[in-house]
Amino acid sequence: MKKRCSSSDFVINKRILPKSKFSTRFSTIYQLDNFFSSKRSQITIFVIIAIMIIVIGVLAYLFLPKIQTGFGVSTNNPNVFIQNCMSKSLSETIEKISLQGGSLNPGNYILYQNEKVEYLCYTEEDYTQCVMQKPLLKNQIENEIKQNLVSGKTSCLESLKKNFEAQGYNVDIQPGDSNVEILPGRVEMNFQNVLTLSKDSSERYDDLGAVTNNNLYEMIGIAGSILNMEARYGDAETTVYMNYYHHLKVEKFKQDEGSTIYVISDRNTGEKFQFATRSIAFPAGI
Amino acid sequence: MKTKLRTSKFLLLGILLISLVSLNILIVSGAAQNTYCAERTTNGAWCQNVPLSKVDQNFRYAPTSCESTSYCKLGTCVDSQEGTCMENTPQITCELPEEENKGGVWFDSEVEDVPQCNLGCCILGEQAAFVTQTRCKQLSSLYGLETNYRTDIQSEFACISTATSKEKGACVFEKDFEKNCKLTTRGECDNIGEDAEFHEGFLCSSEKLGTNCGPSEKTTLVDGKDGVYFVDTCSNLGNIYDANRQNDKSYWEEMIGKEKSCGFDDLNGNAGSSTCGNCDYFLGSTGKKYSRGDDPVKPRFGDYICRNLGCEYLSESFQHGETWCAPSSEDGKNLPGSRYNRLVCYNGEVSVEACSEFRQEVCIQDEINGFKTGACRVNKWQDCSSQSNQQSCENTDKRDCTWTTLSTENDDDEENKKVEVCLPKFAPGFDFWNPESDAESLCSLGNNQCIVKFEKGLLSGEYECTENCECLDGGWAEMQNRMCMALGDCGVAENYLGYSGYNQLDDLISVAEYHEESKSSSSSGSSKGSAFSSSSNKGSAF
Repeated sequence: MKKRCSSSDFVINKRILPKSKFSTRFSTIYQLDNFFSSKRSQITIFVIIAIMIIVIGVLAYLFLPKIQTGFGVSTNNPNVFIQNCMSKSLSETIEKISLQGGSLNPGNYILYQNEKVEYLCYTEEDYTQCVMQKPLLKNQIENEIKQNLVSGKTSCLESLKKNFEAQGYNVDIQPGDSNVEILPGRVEMNFQNVLTLSKDSSERYDDLGAVTNNNLYEMIGIAGSILNMEARYGDAETTVYMNYYHHLKVEKFKQDEGSTIYVISDRNTGEKFQFATRSIAFPAGI
Repeated sequence: MKTKLRTSKFLLLGILLISLVSLNILIVSGAAQNTYCAERTTNGAWCQNVPLSKVDQNFRYAPTSCESTSYCKLGTCVDSQEGTCMENTPQITCELPEEENKGGVWFDSEVEDVPQCNLGCCILGEQAAFVTQTRCKQLSSLYGLETNYRTDIQSEFACISTATSKEKGACVFEKDFEKNCKLTTRGECDNIGEDAEFHEGFLCSSEKLGTNCGPSEKTTLVDGKDGVYFVDTCSNLGNIYDANRQNDKSYWEEMIGKEKSCGFDDLNGNAGSSTCGNCDYFLGSTGKKYSRGDDPVKPRFGDYICRNLGCEYLSESFQHGETWCAPSSEDGKNLPGSRYNRLVCYNGEVSVEACSEFRQEVCIQDEINGFKTGACRVNKWQDCSSQSNQQSCENTDKRDCTWTTLSTENDDDEENKKVEVCLPKFAPGFDFWNPESDAESLCSLGNNQCIVKFEKGLLSGEYECTENCECLDGGWAEMQNRMCMALGDCGVAENYLGYSGYNQLDDLISVAEYHEESKSSSSSGSSKGSAFSSSSNKGSAF
């Protein structure tokens, strides 16, 4: 039978060890061992740990609003609830759309690093300028984001309802559409639903929604300028944009069959927007 | 007799005309049969000239070019909300009624002829943009600024030069019985309170103002500016970081411009300077937090330094903003599969921009005052082989060709055969693996035939070579192969990865026939290596 090592074993060992660094360490362990063996001391330790846990919990609740719902702790602010519920899917949708040339399901695309990248200016022919495929790119991306988040919005409103009903509120959510806006430095999703919470009094919320910080607005603007260059000259000079926008990196990757991939990325945040073009393509031979 | 002749002449002319017209009709109808203008293709592209198999027949289509249709006419699309104009746009993609999308306004004209697309200078606070009036209004509203649109400025350069920072100064105000100060604009100072005094051009650390702010050793970076700046004890911005003037009280009195600050003439924008924070992005430096690995020295004060934005590439240094060319393949040989590349150094990173595939674009490079600039441009090789003299061959305005003398490189001068030809300066690439490729026909320009003449000795009775004997030497075949390779991806070569092609040199030499004449025999037909041979070199595709 295996013998478990008890604190008294250390004490015995300590006695036979010569006086050295090890013996000093064992002496400390021995003192701690005595301390832990006292019941009163143990209670004190437990009380201190309990107080620490409570303090950390309170601080986290006050200063980290994201944790509130993340850990299943309910919130009594519907705006915060929706922000927490929608922000992840909003960010993920934007990221995906940005890597696919502004489309969630690209139709006319080229595969680049396992991503389907949509052609925003395209011609099937050689030696001819491309035809603009999405001239209202910002509007179309806003619409794509909105479409992709319809189900997410519904489930967030449902869980909001459950959450507040569990807190004793009477919850009324009026049906409504939503609106996505790409703005400088951020993307906003605004619900057009009206939420009424009633308990002792009644509260009305008509500005529910979520916001995520993103530089998509600036990148779409640059993409538009590159597309105009492609439509006119069949090529675009990337360094022009890097001279004006110091924090941006604009890269051009020529692919097979006359296609070009443009990648606009933010050096500080790592956010990317990429799209494809095919304009004034030169085939092999004459 | 004369009438008969005249009649037959008219008949011939008539036949010729009819055949020309019918040929034309055939060509036109053939072309029309081949491509259709599809409003939408099966893969979702708008307004493309494609074969019928690629036409989405749920949309409009016609057996003609899109240029001549009404539904795919190209024009300018104006986004009336954002104020942007997109060129080469079909009406349908501009006015697409996709759910709630507010469609754009389409104009049947070039962007220059659309008044809504006229550009002007939009002043946005301390910045400026050369945009349309609607765009200016939109940007001003997004950034919460008043619209300031100037139509008198008609160039982007002039517009950006107009952007100046608003006059700033020290705003002095009382708070908690102390004379506080904030470096701000006059407008913002007025909002602080009635008793706030604005001192234009002064720093908060100025002794004349007698505030609680003073000089410090701290530095900081400012959004939208390249340099490193001093910060006073109240965290207000000071002048550009100049370690030699940190103790100079006069340097903490008034705002001093970039051009009057330290190291303004420095060619590297004070990159890596421990004493001067007058960084300049266009000269290759920008303010960054000091990092031991990236910066050569530690700043004497504060944590920020002008970082060198230059690059190292293959043990060579390049300046920030420089672009240069990389050869298509080693030793400048245009091997099959290779393409030209342009390299770009920006913000300390080198990125590679490939030129068009099949070497249809080449990279050209120039240097002004040691600053390199490279660019991809079209390779004009197509009509080289049809040039018969050096002058037209080397007319660089029209083509990229070179007048080349090819020789067998035989030491014996008499035997040395020289050929002068016009060849592409940058051999193009071909898609020789494609059954529809024109590689074979283009490479066949390198085909050549050499007739070797033999004479039978009277006494010996053996055949002896008397004419074009050098063609029997391997040197002739190699010379022909060099010409093939210069034409494009022809002949015998390894590709850019070092893999051999389909052919060996022997595969390209074929022997035709041989005729025995009464006294002499000229080569024509037998296998290679036999005495009676006329070699014919075939310019086969790689």
